[in-house]
Amino acid sequence: MDTTTSIDAEERERELVITRIFDAPRHLVFQAWTEPDRAARWWGPQGFVTTYWDMDIRPGGTFRVCMRSPEGADHWKQGVYREIVEPERLVFTFAWEDGEGKPSHQTVVTVTFAEHGEKTELTLRQAVFETVEACNDHRRGWTSTLQRFAQYLASH
Amino acid sequence: MSPDRLSITFSALADPTRRAILARLISGEASVTELAEPFAMSLPAVSKHLKVLEHAGLITRGREAQWRPCRLEAGPLKDAADWLEHYRRFWEQSFDRLEDYLGELQGKEKKDGHDDEH
Repeated sequence: MDTTTSIDAEERERELVITRIFDAPRHLVFQAWTEPDRAARWWGPQGFVTTYWDMDIRPGGTFRVCMRSPEGADHWKQGVYREIVEPERLVFTFAWEDGEGKPSHQTVVTVTFAEHGEKTELTLRQAVFETVEACNDHRRGWTSTLQRFAQYLASH
Repeated sequence: MSPDRLSITFSALADPTRRAILARLISGEASVTELAEPFAMSLPAVSKHLKVLEHAGLITRGREAQWRPCRLEAGPLKDAADWLEHYRRFWEQSFDRLEDYLGELQGKEKKDGHDDEH
């Protein structure tokens, strides 16, 4: 069996991808990501409130955002915008900060916005295997090979 | 899991050969020779990958002098899987909120025709 090849093929199929269709025109969905005051309204889990946001939305610009949990705990996230192609594509790095304001494991997030009639299909990919540097060269090896390991873990 | 730990795990998982080795170990312990079989790779090259996996705590090697079987260690994999699950929930819940927010925005934009839709 050619293990290497089968893993590679599987990997492409199993990219960690989250897709959602929003009942809103594409420009509006794109704005919700790229206008800081709008992004602050929804970016975070249910019950969290964005208490600080500084988003310099241009290629090379940074963002730093604080969200407060319902229990009052602050969670800081930060990153750098890489590509902003209105209204179809957004790429940025993303990391949670540790207690000392240092970024933890960095990931690269790619969001695409596709017109779907009156609606918008949003696809989010988050790369976690590669280092941020490696992602500059090529995008491969996204997350969900871990699903296979998760199955293994569940059975042990 | 500390951020460094997580980065070590993910960088160990970033290589397709290493993932293939881990996938092979799911079905049980194996020797270096057995692990090298599917790859067009020298034993030293495979050993190098095993060192990375061992350093990341993803495998352990038996102490038996001769064949030192490799065994999969679930701990770091579970931490990595949990971390990913955390991110997935983060986005899913954010998207729920985005959905509501977009509805709100359009309610405002469509003031004149708001009785067409809920």
